[in-house]
Amino acid sequence: MPLWAKLRPAALFARLSTKLTVLYAGLFGVGLVAIALMVNTVISANAQRTVRDELAANGAVFDRIWALQEKHLGDSAAILARDFGFRDAVATRDVETILSALDNLRGRLAIDRAFLMTMDGDVVGLDALTDAEADALWVALDARERAAGVLTIAGRPYQAVSAPIRAPDLIGWVVFAAELNRAHLQSFEALAAIPLRADVFARSADGAWLNASSAAVLEALDADVAPRTLRLAGGEAIALAQPLRAFDGGPESRLLLTYPLDRALQAYRPLMGSLAALGVFGVALLALASWFLASTVTKPIAALDAAARALQQGKRMEVATTTRDEIGRLADTFNRMSHEIAAREERITHMAMHDADTGLANRRALAGALGAMENAYVVAVAIDRFAPIRDAIGYRLAAELLRRLGARLQAAAPAGVIARIGPDALALAIACGDEADALACAERLRAAAAGATRLDGANVDIETTAGAAPVESGATQAALDHALIAIEQARQARRRTALFDKSLYGDPARNLSLMSEMLDGITRGDLTLHYQPKYDLRRGAVTGVEALARWTHATRGGVSPDLFVTMAEETGHIDTLTEWTLVRAIADQNVMRAAGLDYLVSVNLSGRLVGDDAFTKLAIELIQDTDARICLEVTETAAMDDPEAALRNIEAYVAAGVSIAIDDFGAGLSSLSYLKRIPAAELKMDKSLIKNLGRNARDALLVKSTIDLAHALGMKITAEGVETQAELALLASMGCDMIQGYVIARPAPVQTLAAAPQRATLRT
Amino acid sequence: MRFLIVLCAWFASAALAHAADVTVRVTDAAGAPVRHAVVSFAPDGGYRGPIAFDWPYQIAQRNLAFEPAILIAPVGAEVRFPNLDRVRHHVYSFSDGNRFELTLYGRDETRAHRFRSAGIAAIGCNIHDQMRAYIIITDTPFIAITGADGTARLAGASGAGHLRVWHADLRARGGVQSRPARYPAAGAVQEALRVDLRAAHAGH
Repeated sequence: MPLWAKLRPAALFARLSTKLTVLYAGLFGVGLVAIALMVNTVISANAQRTVRDELAANGAVFDRIWALQEKHLGDSAAILARDFGFRDAVATRDVETILSALDNLRGRLAIDRAFLMTMDGDVVGLDALTDAEADALWVALDARERAAGVLTIAGRPYQAVSAPIRAPDLIGWVVFAAELNRAHLQSFEALAAIPLRADVFARSADGAWLNASSAAVLEALDADVAPRTLRLAGGEAIALAQPLRAFDGGPESRLLLTYPLDRALQAYRPLMGSLAALGVFGVALLALASWFLASTVTKPIAALDAAARALQQGKRMEVATTTRDEIGRLADTFNRMSHEIAAREERITHMAMHDADTGLANRRALAGALGAMENAYVVAVAIDRFAPIRDAIGYRLAAELLRRLGARLQAAAPAGVIARIGPDALALAIACGDEADALACAERLRAAAAGATRLDGANVDIETTAGAAPVESGATQAALDHALIAIEQARQARRRTALFDKSLYGDPARNLSLMSEMLDGITRGDLTLHYQPKYDLRRGAVTGVEALARWTHATRGGVSPDLFVTMAEETGHIDTLTEWTLVRAIADQNVMRAAGLDYLVSVNLSGRLVGDDAFTKLAIELIQDTDARICLEVTETAAMDDPEAALRNIEAYVAAGVSIAIDDFGAGLSSLSYLKRIPAAELKMDKSLIKNLGRNARDALLVKSTIDLAHALGMKITAEGVETQAELALLASMGCDMIQGYVIARPAPVQTLAAAPQRATLRT
Repeated sequence: MRFLIVLCAWFASAALAHAADVTVRVTDAAGAPVRHAVVSFAPDGGYRGPIAFDWPYQIAQRNLAFEPAILIAPVGAEVRFPNLDRVRHHVYSFSDGNRFELTLYGRDETRAHRFRSAGIAAIGCNIHDQMRAYIIITDTPFIAITGADGTARLAGASGAGHLRVWHADLRARGGVQSRPARYPAAGAVQEALRVDLRAAHAGH
């Protein structure tokens, strides 16, 4: 990751208050630095300008003083030069007198040097000159009436002025000189308003500076007459170089006025110091104020932040509102939001745990309650015939009915959670020692729930069925399902209360795999057909057989036909099974024919397949292709779902020469109108009608009437489940056409049938 | 040709016998004629004989000036200094050999001083600085002042000697320039002298 990415503000400042503080203090600091720089620049420029002006002014002053000094020297020299006695002495070369006169005046006028140069080139009063210097001096004096300027004597600069001595002709010159030494320059420096320094730099005849040391000074000396900044050993200085005429008219000397910049700025130091201190104080104050302000701004935000985190974790949070600004409003909104979220959550939780119709607890709630119990049993209580009742009284009252039922159960078991676990079923959990206890408890609860109840001014009498199931190894949902199944088992067993019977139910997961295994079994040949003969009473012989599927599972052994046929119907595999049965039956019929048995083979056709046009087409093709004699047995109720399609297909079968038999007649509700419309050749009485035939006169009457009805409709009638000779005799006497049951033969494979055909003997 | 002329001149001067005429032309460095220069010829061994000039040996003070400004006088001549001004004058000279001082004297007073040494006497007035005059005390009669054309005629100069020129502003020691010269006994001789003058200072 590049560095800049790490240094992003977001990464630097985890806290808003820090960010704001740094930002404000930083901005102020930058502004302050800018101001300080500006002030510094202005002050510096101002100081420099002041010094420059001062230097320029002092340069002018110096010029004036120089001129005055020159005049003073010149006047003094002139006075001496004109003195008659002095002239006399000079003219007569009276050296002693000349020297004394020079000394006298020098002392009186405080002049450093005073000497005489005669026209002959003799110097009186100055010993230090060489002959060359003397000649140069003579030339210089001779060149001008009055020479004045900087004269170097013995390497030291002097301000010198000459005056001619006339007697009356020029006979020599008096030269007066004041040494430009430190003391002299200091007296000049003292006149300046600022503590500047003055130095005189003289030049030799060839222009070389005699006493200038540093290059910077030399540069300044060569510059124009304007103040400039010099970089000297002691720091920066502002300098002004002023030209000074040389005594001999040669290269000009210079007066250098310097003023250290450091000292120029010294006056402003306290101001700058105060400014810096003020700046530091200001930044500190601003940082503090920013921090305080940022804290007041961010504290509610931080509180909101914390509250939002808590809310995210599911905690209910309220933020105290202290202000009425945007943050205050945000806090208010947050509080409302938090409240609404909590309410919504409550509602959702309630919805998740309660039934919407009745307000009772739901499966999940009960499952939750079950989880904590030991030796728990689920007792489910269902209202019998709930759907018709609900249709009759409406959904609203049906829900009220369930609530009443719940209230009754709650009264019977005050500590339990009453939950709705099915459309018509409520359940609760109980703890019981064993199954008998559980069953008794279930019966007690069921009885408590049953009874008439008054709804909207009308009495509704409700009957209840109860089922109980143990919670095994924490499988609470399964226990709830089992309790509901137990209700169904109770109803099938025509009992009020039942304990879940696992053996009756099987294992749903295994049942589902059963179908794929069944399909495998078909291809492998695990499935076989057994045939149960039908005995024709009038012909005294077996004339047909009913094909019944049998499955011998490789590991499970024999699988109940009730189980796998029902399962095939429910899972949509019945067409495969029926097709296989049909193909198998046709093949087996040929086996029977080969054995000399010309039997009509009956195959059961599922109600679902009766309405299936595609299957009908397939079945007709199969039968016609093989010239088989097949009878399809359909249940009367199978035609009820889609009567038109069912009747259309049945007619198609009949037209194709396939006989139709109505199966299980008398087991359910029979509709004579359909019976009339189905062009069946055979009617099979359900074994439930036959069971009590010998003992019940009414049943015998019903059987007799059914036989007559069949005959009246032009159908042969077959009695199923005939087990005794007495029944057989009775049915024969009643005019029944055919008998099927153990009394004739048990179902058997086709090989057995072909090997030993049934020769029923009637003991009549 | 030149030789012929010289020859003729020599014969001419010999014929005139001690009557040579030397005309000297004085020019400055720029070649311009110099007036008020005093040209003289000093024969080697000196001049023996009386010297007299036909002008009065007198320098008057009139209108705060000496008149004349240049006076030629023979050695031993007494020069009179009549004061024609209303103010008093204090005439002096510090010149070697001719040092004198005529202390304050008034109008219509005349003082005199006898100059005993040959040379230049620079005369000033102690009261009035601008007043200046020069008395050329001569020991030779061959002396003349150049006119506006810068020439001076030295009548009768002959033999070996030194040709001298003096001028108040002449740039030389004592204001005198000298060189050896030899002139024939008769005839006219043209001499040219070039002098280096100081730029005229105020008060000269």
